[in-house]
Amino acid sequence: MNEEHLQSVLHAAPGSGAELLSGLGIVLYVGAALIFVAVIALVLHATFTDRLRASTRAWVVGGGIVFPAVALFLLLNYSIAVGSAVSAIESGSALRLLLDCFRIDSKARIPPPAPGSLRIHVDGKQWWWDVRYEVRSGDTSSIVLANELRVPLDEPVELLLTTSDVIHSFWVPSLAGKVDMIPGRTNRLVIRTSEPGIYRGQCAEYCGGQHALMALYVIAQPREEFEAWLTRQAQPAEAPRDDLLRSGYDAFFKGRCPECHTVRGTPADGASGPDLTHVGARHALAAGTLRNHIGTMAGWIAGAQDIKPGNPMPDSEVYTGRELRALSAWLESLE
Amino acid sequence: MLPIAAVLLLGCTHESGYEPNVPGGNAERGRRAIAALECGVCHEIPGVPGAWGHVGPPLVAYRGNVYIAGKQPNRPDVLMRFVRDAPSLAPDTAMPAIAMSETQARDIAAYLYSLE
Amino acid sequence: MPSLIHKPTRKVVLLAAGAFGLVVLGAIGAFVVLLSGAYSTAATTQHFKITHRLLDAGLKFSVRSYANGIEVPDLSRAGMLERGIACYRTHCVQCHGAPGIARHAEGRGMLPIASDLAQSAREWPPEWLYYVTRKGVRMSGMPAWEFRISNEDLWSTIAFLTQLPFMTHRDYVELDARSRDLSCRAPTEVPRERSPEYAKVVFRQYACHSCHRIEGVVGPKSRVGPALVDWSRRKYVAGVLPNNEENLVRFIRDPQAVSPHSLMPKLDVAEVHAREMARYLMALE
Repeated sequence: MNEEHLQSVLHAAPGSGAELLSGLGIVLYVGAALIFVAVIALVLHATFTDRLRASTRAWVVGGGIVFPAVALFLLLNYSIAVGSAVSAIESGSALRLLLDCFRIDSKARIPPPAPGSLRIHVDGKQWWWDVRYEVRSGDTSSIVLANELRVPLDEPVELLLTTSDVIHSFWVPSLAGKVDMIPGRTNRLVIRTSEPGIYRGQCAEYCGGQHALMALYVIAQPREEFEAWLTRQAQPAEAPRDDLLRSGYDAFFKGRCPECHTVRGTPADGASGPDLTHVGARHALAAGTLRNHIGTMAGWIAGAQDIKPGNPMPDSEVYTGRELRALSAWLESLE
Repeated sequence: MLPIAAVLLLGCTHESGYEPNVPGGNAERGRRAIAALECGVCHEIPGVPGAWGHVGPPLVAYRGNVYIAGKQPNRPDVLMRFVRDAPSLAPDTAMPAIAMSETQARDIAAYLYSLE
Repeated sequence: MPSLIHKPTRKVVLLAAGAFGLVVLGAIGAFVVLLSGAYSTAATTQHFKITHRLLDAGLKFSVRSYANGIEVPDLSRAGMLERGIACYRTHCVQCHGAPGIARHAEGRGMLPIASDLAQSAREWPPEWLYYVTRKGVRMSGMPAWEFRISNEDLWSTIAFLTQLPFMTHRDYVELDARSRDLSCRAPTEVPRERSPEYAKVVFRQYACHSCHRIEGVVGPKSRVGPALVDWSRRKYVAGVLPNNEENLVRFIRDPQAVSPHSLMPKLDVAEVHAREMARYLMALE
């Protein structure tokens, strides 16, 4: 598996919007710090000197009007330029002039996605992320997963952000700024990166008891790998290969799992919980809460309420030890 | 005064019974392996942050336990096998075989035996 | 009005301080003896005569007080003797012996020694015998039989005991042969007024605390089985069955049927008692 990147705005991925934003941030932080130091130096100077060399009027006009006006004018234009560069919009000639002024070259700008290219619908829920790929225009039912997005390298990918319940906020700090998911609205975010790897993100708007355990992963990979993954995601789940997996499959239907979960290719078509068709291939479980292996899967099924108290998934309570192991093995086999 | 004396005196009583030791096991590495494998999803394990699961038994003061899972004598060789492949020793158990290296199993056993 | 409280004289104060000092010194002395290891716990070291007399008398006074009010049923009903000797054969003869029949090895070297019941039954009224048999005697080898013998058969045993002083070896052997096919019945009822306190008694009566540390039950620091604390939070019984009252009852009654590799043995726990235990455990948070 690829390397997991540090989740931090200070570790922006190359080629991402976050990189431009962190550039703007550094200008702001460093600039503000310099101005602060200069002002303090002047205050000290004024305090300990008997006679000011310059006239009071010149200081008031220069430091109080001219400098802020120029600095704010430049910053405003710089932030407009950065904002337009990360927004993946067609820039008109005025904007282009601005971008050139601040030396934001065309490679750093996130271009608008080509018409008909990949769009990903991400729907925030308490407390997980429903992810649907729109491969062809309007079709969002064939590739459905949860808490994980995969994107091809170096391509702008358009995310359509919605919510099914309360306000959430989609934030992958190393890739882009945060965008709220607001009831009744569809917000748009375009992400891009030129560095492969696993980027962690999390909900950045308090959304209830388990807000802190609502994370997701964005996995960026070369186009061919991404295509292979996408093709596999479009497949239904494979039939269980051996007796252990078959008994795991039976256990899934013995319990209440299908009421909430879908496994494409089986009768399970519950809609309120994450789609589990390829859950074994995911980087994490329970919205970025647990690493994904057979042990954590078993622990999550049997003790979901201990791990994320109040989340809609109940503790299983019905499985014998063997059934729990078989069920976990079957789910992990869904790659 | 008396209780203090009692604690002091009783503390001096040397009990030399069976001491489980894992040659080559590194308890600190074991602690990190337990955290990385997230054993705490199912078990309460002192010293491992977030390990407060109730699916399996609490692994508190594990050194003194007589049996593993109520089924096997609590010995280093058996414990090393159990943490990696519980079903081979307890076919009905809910604990799956967990993919890990022999070194990890050794270190994890060393950590569990460090819990007194 | 004269004060009813006199100011203590100097002499009284000194005496009181002296007495208190002696008590403290005595406690420290006893503690030192305990820690020094000088006190022998061997069953070969006999009690002082006075200790033995005192314990005997204490037992008698306690039994008389607690057996007060027990109503003795008709002990001459048909079949009672036969049922009684069936219980005696199964549970009593090992430590107490019978006319012309030696007690087993474990009944010979005990300290204190189990009494010969022909003498006890001559000297004690039936309600005392019933009380001691039912409740057992602490710090001796006598268990409380109410958890192993049904109340009906407890009285049958007492009916047999009242006849014991008047039996020859031959009478005993004949009665024993006559009741060969009978067995002693286990209890099927628990008190209607259930309480966590009662459940604790049940745990102790099935020796659960010899292997498990149980919340609320005083016992050894057992590390054989898992500690039974916070039990309602646990998801699995023995790592095998989902944790609920029904499955706990199943496991307690026949552990190896549920988990073939379990080292917990079958303890012939009556269903009612297993249910008491399960309810108690499921209430531990």
